[in-house]
Amino acid sequence: MAACTKRLDRFIISLRLLRNLQLQNERFLSTSQCLRAAGNDSESPKFVPPSKPVIVDKTQTVASLRKFLSPEFIPPRQRTDPLKFSIERKDMIRRRKVLNIPEFYVGSILAVTMADPNASGKTNSFVGICIQRGGKGLGATFVLRNIINNQGVEICYELYSPRIQKIEVLKLEKRLDDNLMYLRDALPEYSTVDPEMKPVPFSPTGEVPVNKIKVRMRPKPWSKRWERPKFNIQGIRFDLSLTPEQMEHAQKWAQPWLEYDMLKEYDTSKLEEQIIKEVQQEMSK
Amino acid sequence: MAAWSCRFLLLRGTRVIPPRAPAERPALLVGCIRTVKTTTWFEENVTEDNQEYMRKSMAEEYRRQTAEKLNPLKDEPWPRHEWTEGSRRVGLVAMKLGMVPVWTKTGERHVVTMLQVQDCHVIKYLSKEEYDGHSAALLVGGKNVSPFHRSEKQMEIFRNAGVPPKQKVTAFKVSDSAIIKPGTPLYAAHFRPGQYVDVTGKSIGKGFQGVMKRWGFKGQPATHGQTKTHRRPGASGPGGDPAKVFKGKKMPGQMGNTYITAYGLKIWRVNTKYNVLYVNGSVPGHKNCLLKVRDTVLPNRRSTLLNPPFPTYFTEEDGDLDEDLYDDDLFVHTEPSLTLT
Repeated sequence: MAACTKRLDRFIISLRLLRNLQLQNERFLSTSQCLRAAGNDSESPKFVPPSKPVIVDKTQTVASLRKFLSPEFIPPRQRTDPLKFSIERKDMIRRRKVLNIPEFYVGSILAVTMADPNASGKTNSFVGICIQRGGKGLGATFVLRNIINNQGVEICYELYSPRIQKIEVLKLEKRLDDNLMYLRDALPEYSTVDPEMKPVPFSPTGEVPVNKIKVRMRPKPWSKRWERPKFNIQGIRFDLSLTPEQMEHAQKWAQPWLEYDMLKEYDTSKLEEQIIKEVQQEMSK
Repeated sequence: MAAWSCRFLLLRGTRVIPPRAPAERPALLVGCIRTVKTTTWFEENVTEDNQEYMRKSMAEEYRRQTAEKLNPLKDEPWPRHEWTEGSRRVGLVAMKLGMVPVWTKTGERHVVTMLQVQDCHVIKYLSKEEYDGHSAALLVGGKNVSPFHRSEKQMEIFRNAGVPPKQKVTAFKVSDSAIIKPGTPLYAAHFRPGQYVDVTGKSIGKGFQGVMKRWGFKGQPATHGQTKTHRRPGASGPGGDPAKVFKGKKMPGQMGNTYITAYGLKIWRVNTKYNVLYVNGSVPGHKNCLLKVRDTVLPNRRSTLLNPPFPTYFTEEDGDLDEDLYDDDLFVHTEPSLTLT
């Protein structure tokens, strides 16, 4: 009996040894196979990361995405040949395929990196709130405003300039007006944007959030008489800087007949639909 | 014999009434303008169906004529010569579309005017003796136009060339090695990027203008006692010694609506699909006006013109051009953004 157990033990031990040997051999075999498979590399094979999973968001259909046509695509009402606008649009789309120009409105906060021969690292970046979008076609511009070291700075960038390397929307929102030039006469807190701001996530569906803030102004005199009806500003708290008599006096410059002037009507709805379709087709190619 | 007709302008109160209908009340005669030199116009005695038929047949004939002239090299072309240093070649008639910005590879921004070459054909060859005794000339025509408002004499020239009637016909002085058979179409690829051109056109008419707008005089101050003198020319010359006003003295008069030439304009880009030239800077004339474009006359810019398409660009011969030809310094929008180093 003892001899059996001893033999059994030895057998088991030898089995274990064999198993270990076998395992070691297998490990050696497997590694040597890998080495051979890798083409006789003397170094270890490079780590190939697994492919990233492609996330297809099936909750958002194409139809629910917000349709946005950048205002510089809409041609002004002129006697120019439409061929000129279509050739210009082709160039704009070519540039948009290389540089991603995101959707943004006046009042959104953007960060722009531009190539600059005089800056160290050859690029300079600027973060600011968009106060104006002007121009049509390839010469379209937008003005970013920020206050840096107690100094107000406004920079006018051309959307299609080749020096612009990146345009990023940090916060997408609209304001009550199309033109925020009155921020020059407002208190500085309304124009300060943190240069190291983190991007605020926004959804590509649904309405763009409208910031209904009413801005407080510095004491008069202002650079322009913002209370006059030709500017049609909704976003200023006039009750804090002007008396009701002054507001009434400003209404003397009102031109109420302009609203009914048929010659000034420019209906762009059909043009816009056409251009949106064309742009989306070309961009998806 | 064409009869002249007058249009009488009658003034009744402050309204001016064109007198197709007879005047009911006696009114003041303001003036009379000669408008139409013939007594009938093509639509007057023609029924509406016939008018439509005439228009359609005109369009079909234009298409047939342009299609016939698409292959000039197969159509007994005139002998072709090589380009030499001193030879001058034809120009084109182009339409001004508008202006666009353009960027170079170093990031500089320039503005260019887009000129489209629409239905440009050579119409007639005038030899040295016929033209001015010094050099031969080629008549070139621009945009197609309806034949109903052209006189018979004008239509004869177009019919001889087998070409639809054109809105603008100009003469280009050419050397004898560069003459082309009438009826040959001319395209924008006749000019190449990097070349310099002169553009001639009628400037925008400003009417009768004063001396400050026309010649840039300073005028007089608005206040400090000036009596009725704020935009006047002031003195008209030296005093008793010449005792006269010299000829050519800058004075008020007609400004604009004259032929002006812009010299030495660089061509940045040529679009062969739509026949558009991108020409540096501004050009005289309003949008959609017809201009005369030719190789530069400036001596310092002629060296860029080496081996141009001579006598002109033929689609059958070198028809493998890309849709867009760019100058070397130009930034193309399909390239990635600039990184200035």
